Amino acid sequence: MSEPTAETIVFDNVSKFYGEVLGVNRVHLVLAPGITGLVGPNGSGKTTLMNLVTGLLKPSEGSIRVLDLPPDRPELLFSEIGYCTQYDAFPRGMSGYQFIYSFLRVHGYVHGEAERLTWKALERVNMTEAAHRRLDGYSKGMRQRVRVAQAISHEPRILVLDEPLNGLDPMARAEVSRVFEQLAGQGCHVIISSHILHEVDMFSDQVVFLSGGYVVAEGDVTGVRTDIEENKPIQVLVRCDKPGLVATRLFAAGAAVEVGLSEDLGGLLTRTRDPEKFYLLLNDVVLGDDVTIESVSVADANVRAVYQYLIGSEGEPR
Amino acid sequence: MAVYDRTYRRYQGPVTSQTWRFLVVSHYVLKDVFKSKLLVFFYALCFVYPLVLGVSIYLRNNLDRLGQILPQEALEQFQVDAGTFAGFLYSQGFLAFFLTVVIGPRLISRDLANNGLPLYLSRPISRAQYVLGKLSVIFILLSGITWVPGLMLFALQSALDKGDWMTRHLRVAAGMTLGSWVWILLLAVIALALSAWVKWRPVAAFLMFMIFASGSFFALILNLLFFGGARERAWGYLVDPGRLIVIVWSGLLGTEPPDGPPVALAWIALAAMTAFLLWVLNRKLRAYEVVT
Amino acid sequence: MESIIELDGLSVHFGRLQALKSLTGSYTARSLGLLGPNGAGKTTLIHTLLGFHRPSAGTARVFGNDILHQDKAARALIGYMPERDSFIAGMSAVRFVRMMAELSGIPAAHALERAHEALFFVGLGESRYRNLEEYSQGMKQRAKLAQALVHGPRLLFLDEPTNGLDPPARERMIRLIKAIRDTGEVHVVLSSHLLRDVEECCEEVLILNRGEIACHCNLEEERRANRKFLELEARGDVDGYVEAIRALGVECVPYRKRRLKMVLPPEVEIRELYRLAAERRIEIRHLDYKKDSLQDIFLKAMEEKPAPAAQ
Repeated sequence: MSEPTAETIVFDNVSKFYGEVLGVNRVHLVLAPGITGLVGPNGSGKTTLMNLVTGLLKPSEGSIRVLDLPPDRPELLFSEIGYCTQYDAFPRGMSGYQFIYSFLRVHGYVHGEAERLTWKALERVNMTEAAHRRLDGYSKGMRQRVRVAQAISHEPRILVLDEPLNGLDPMARAEVSRVFEQLAGQGCHVIISSHILHEVDMFSDQVVFLSGGYVVAEGDVTGVRTDIEENKPIQVLVRCDKPGLVATRLFAAGAAVEVGLSEDLGGLLTRTRDPEKFYLLLNDVVLGDDVTIESVSVADANVRAVYQYLIGSEGEPR
Repeated sequence: MAVYDRTYRRYQGPVTSQTWRFLVVSHYVLKDVFKSKLLVFFYALCFVYPLVLGVSIYLRNNLDRLGQILPQEALEQFQVDAGTFAGFLYSQGFLAFFLTVVIGPRLISRDLANNGLPLYLSRPISRAQYVLGKLSVIFILLSGITWVPGLMLFALQSALDKGDWMTRHLRVAAGMTLGSWVWILLLAVIALALSAWVKWRPVAAFLMFMIFASGSFFALILNLLFFGGARERAWGYLVDPGRLIVIVWSGLLGTEPPDGPPVALAWIALAAMTAFLLWVLNRKLRAYEVVT
Repeated sequence: MESIIELDGLSVHFGRLQALKSLTGSYTARSLGLLGPNGAGKTTLIHTLLGFHRPSAGTARVFGNDILHQDKAARALIGYMPERDSFIAGMSAVRFVRMMAELSGIPAAHALERAHEALFFVGLGESRYRNLEEYSQGMKQRAKLAQALVHGPRLLFLDEPTNGLDPPARERMIRLIKAIRDTGEVHVVLSSHLLRDVEECCEEVLILNRGEIACHCNLEEERRANRKFLELEARGDVDGYVEAIRALGVECVPYRKRRLKMVLPPEVEIRELYRLAAERRIEIRHLDYKKDSLQDIFLKAMEEKPAPAAQ
């Protein structure tokens, strides 16, 4: 976690309760610029956290400091933040263009500026063609893109997005992700909440894991993995044609504490306390025993694995 | 030991008849309708008048035996004829209207609001069968308080009467039954069309009242403006469904028609309204809205 | 093999907009992915096969049943899980699924049995007795799947089944879909924007674009053809390693963080990479064939002019 500076968003022991119901409890976070992925089951506090950052909610306990903005000037905060919620709600009868334009006018931009910024935002999400059609007539993906455009139109320094890729086809997903990466590259904070873990893995610089209203881990994913437990063995999945032989060699050399063969006998899952020794030994085994390797992957250096470990499969009540 | 694997299986068994399948829709709606104790109570209240009428019929036909206990003169005034059944239709018809206002609005609106139509229509059932299922609910419930007890009262009178009352009044039985059906159909179609068009129950209920209230209001205005208040040619009433149904009933039962257009015209006007509402229903009831 | 879906010049118009343009093809796969940008016609195709829209031209058959003239017979064999939230208010899951079974023609007593079976299969336990309005998103999705399965259809249309689900629920749903596919009793058509989901569950893929068929391909074959594209993560003297790999004639490019992408020419085997790694004490931490084959197929299909007839 980085140190608080004028560039960071700081949650200082923040708790939020709705009556007796827990939103988030004792959250301490320092978010650096870049893309922050917010991950967790439904009801874990992600929306609460986002509403706290955007100033829509006040914390029950603790305080939030956003960049260098004074806490008693909320209008400054709102002009620096863009928020795209998960709800597909919109005013009736408006076109995409009007939606963004009127929002900019409310922010205080004069007509000429507002128009320019509106088209700029629409271009970024590739919605210039359909801009004058009504929102009711849009497909879900088109509406999603317009809502993202609205969130970025006033060029905020902080962008908070709740499932922004929802409903987008694969090409649009790539396009919109690129927009986020560009913004992050310019020094903005982009906070994205998503359930699609491999995407979070791909574009996030840091990830925050929430569960039951608590932050259970945060940071760079590979860093999180090492922090979990220094001496926890890592799991490696190796798919090859002679799994039994490889297993024997690993045990003989003391490079693995546990090996399991996969059901189709086409691979093995290894636990090892000494990754370096393991990998170098694997090199020798492949060459010396003429093993054909299909794939090698670490079972837990990605968001999905960390999620599985920290949050698990606690699903809906049965 | 045998371990049983519960997994997905195809269905290979008997299949219910396609023609009557719409009743499945009705069955579940009825189950839902009768969950409300208030509604059950109200429905029970709708039988009060038929019961009172039944007792009256019984007493009227047994005056000679019960003469001493009862107010003879008053009861002798009470003739069981077309007028009695007309009155029966008015009162039960009115209650039927209220019943429809209570149960009608939610019939289709909830399915539309929760996007339930695709779930129905992705099955071997057509839109017509879906509507028929919902319509049957209204038909069943309203029949129970209109022509069914009506026919039972007719049968009671016929059984107690020692003369040829029945043969002289067959038209009344037929007229009352047909009249009920027309009223039920009209109410059902109005309720379903509103239910498909409007999401909120109070609004749909309000609109149902308004259809009748505004009908009367506009009829009045039209009569004053165009028909100069002439009684027989008060065709302003063509927009007043409440007045039209009474005209139709009087035509069927052979009683004195109220002011308004001739019976044939009243039938045509009602048929036109029904057709229009069915058209609205057809437009509104889609499995998937396409917005271009 | 009996064809499941047959399209013959199928066209659908909405007013002046042509949503489907003369689609032709015959599909027999156990699991078919349906992909395409928004507005391409995926949902329209599914809805047309279900009989929600009349074709303006051409025909289509499901298990040999014409969708226009034998639509009820066709629908008796189909199960549909809509994309949007769909349920009947005022009912518990059991009553809901049971009613759906009865509407599909199953007699009342059997319907109750099958409703419980379907609910068990999708993993709704005691909560099946609660009203659907109270359900969380994941439970609603599972109830939708249950009603699609309860009458034992032979063809299942799943439209964005993982919509709105959090990661554990998503994995559960994918597992369910694979289990359904693997029973061998039912064919699955999965329409989704998440290429990973489609890649995991489907053998064949049909890509639509602007109302026409852009591509119909078999994923297994594509994967086999993609054997030479690799992704590798190395620790150690990575720069030296990259040089050595390039010296072998392999195209090698750094990618994302710490990864290398490479294209192996036919004469170079993976063993060579290991040989170089052993020589330089490099740890190969990750090695895998490119998983994005479907993404490439998709992008390529979008660029090409849509083909008039598939396969």
